[in-house]
Amino acid sequence: MSALLEIDDLRVTFGTRYGEVTALDSVSLHVDAGETLGVVGESGCGKSITALSVMGLIPQPPGKIAGGSIRLNGEELIGANPARLRGLRGGDVAMIFQEPMTSLNPVFTVGDQIAEAIMLHQNVDKAQALKDAIALLDRVGIPSPDARARDYPHQLSGGMRQRVMIAMAVSCRPKVLIADEPTTALDVTVQAQIFDLLNEIQRDFGAAIVLITHDMGAISEMADRVAVMYAGRVIEEASADDVLDYPQHPYARGLIDCIPALGRDDHRLAEIPGVVPPLHLLGAGCAFAERCAHKQDRCGLEKPLLAAHGHHPVACHGIEEGRI
Amino acid sequence: MNTSYILRRLFYGLLLMLGVVVLNFLLIRMAPGDPAVVIAGEMGGATEEMLESIREEYGLNKPLLVQLGIYIGDIARFDLGESFFFNQPVTHLIGLRIGPTILLVVTAQLLSIVLGVFLGVIAARKPNGIMSAFVSVFATIGYAVPVFWTGIMLIILFASIVPIFPVEGMQSVRLRDANVFVKALDILHHLVLPAFTLAIIYLAQYARLSRASMLEVLGSDYIRTARAKGASEKSVLFKHALRNAALPILTVAGLQFGNLISGALLVETVFNWPGMGRLAFDSILRRDYPTIMGVLFFASFMVVIANILTDLSYRLADPRLRGR
Repeated sequence: MSALLEIDDLRVTFGTRYGEVTALDSVSLHVDAGETLGVVGESGCGKSITALSVMGLIPQPPGKIAGGSIRLNGEELIGANPARLRGLRGGDVAMIFQEPMTSLNPVFTVGDQIAEAIMLHQNVDKAQALKDAIALLDRVGIPSPDARARDYPHQLSGGMRQRVMIAMAVSCRPKVLIADEPTTALDVTVQAQIFDLLNEIQRDFGAAIVLITHDMGAISEMADRVAVMYAGRVIEEASADDVLDYPQHPYARGLIDCIPALGRDDHRLAEIPGVVPPLHLLGAGCAFAERCAHKQDRCGLEKPLLAAHGHHPVACHGIEEGRI
Repeated sequence: MNTSYILRRLFYGLLLMLGVVVLNFLLIRMAPGDPAVVIAGEMGGATEEMLESIREEYGLNKPLLVQLGIYIGDIARFDLGESFFFNQPVTHLIGLRIGPTILLVVTAQLLSIVLGVFLGVIAARKPNGIMSAFVSVFATIGYAVPVFWTGIMLIILFASIVPIFPVEGMQSVRLRDANVFVKALDILHHLVLPAFTLAIIYLAQYARLSRASMLEVLGSDYIRTARAKGASEKSVLFKHALRNAALPILTVAGLQFGNLISGALLVETVFNWPGMGRLAFDSILRRDYPTIMGVLFFASFMVVIANILTDLSYRLADPRLRGR
């Protein structure tokens, strides 16, 4: 049986002033109902582009889906007609964004904004939609939801706004919920509440969650499976426990080492030297090679492919050759 | 929006009007020349005795501050004095002409806002498209061309080449006895060219401004949210984006209202439109102080009202400004 959401060999390119660059290079991911897939990586590695591709929200141009397939319940989304995609967006596939402070429209009340999402996908009138919106606000833990529904976004705190975003996203009981760094802009205490809420909602609605983050703490708390992305490619994929406990790829190891631990008496935080290379400068070899302590000649010449070497699938020549 | 704010705003408007009245009075009195001589000149020659009696009659021999006090007192009773030239109360003269001017100015304002914003929105939809280029070129030309030139060109075009619109006056003499409906249509028919002439500069400006404003808003996070919940492109443009993009347009529309009125003066002269512009023109040539001051008073009054309305509509459009 195929998975609920299947991304297969997805390639997305962007026209830039340096010419066409490849933002996603044969990305394959899948997630099942009730499962949480964590997608991790540094800024610019293609996590958000992956999410936007699923939503059909890649700005075209300059973006272009150059190949591959995205299937929801077996239905191909790439090339599907715009009306059908609009019907899926906010319906079967919903998304929570990184910036709760700016993701809500400042000139409409939050109640209206949630009600709009409901009316777009369900055959209900405005009064019923508003009633549902208030129930949702209550569900996501907003006190006195009746009054809050009449508030404008600027009257709510960041955490409250993210709860509103979640209420809007789950308003039509999506099958897939994509959360793109949902807690990055929030206080740590609020982060934990939002994760709890996402977990509860998953339990209630049975949605698949794709959690995009660079926060390994969030991954350990939320994810069942993890895909590590680097420079537009998936470089390691396994169960969350495997990735966290036995990271294979040098980059994944680096990410794990970067997690500061309480009680560990380090004077310096570990870091991965260098930055993600600009996409237009990617050569023929492994994109991580320049930052990798285990680099050999082959790494600069040939792209490693994601394949099971030892513990779980990873794209690294060093692992493949057994020298790391 | 609260009543106390409206009252406060009206009070400021009143203060502003008082300032305008004082300034008008002093500026006109500072202009060289003796009004008594002018009035006497109209009567056909003057002796010193006659001048003295004219000064007595119009109160021109009293100290300046006393004259100012009397003038303010008169205005408070809606008495703008007697025209030196027309020998009629100024309020009566203005009363006859303010209707056509308001009709012209309001039509031009609405035409320029509605058409300009529409063009701007269409252009912003595809910032590199043909429509966008057209709007940019049209805006530059429209902004650069003086109204009287546009007016004269339109007169040439419609007087001789395609005579489908009347190029002069406000009503056809032959329809003097027609019913109200026919008369109204006739006035609208006469209104086309002057209104378009007056509107074109502002139309160009609003098109440019709303294009820029829309482009900025369309890049914001809440527009992505709107798309993510499955809103149609029309709803994204005209509901989610335009409401936010309207704020700078409103500001400019309010500020431009004064310019629009001075533009109306030129347009009325070109098209022989029987409004306040003609009256101002005639009274300036004849040094008819009470009439000039009356026209200035009403023009400022309209601008102050327009600004109050702008402020109020601003608060209607943007909830973040309410309750301040």
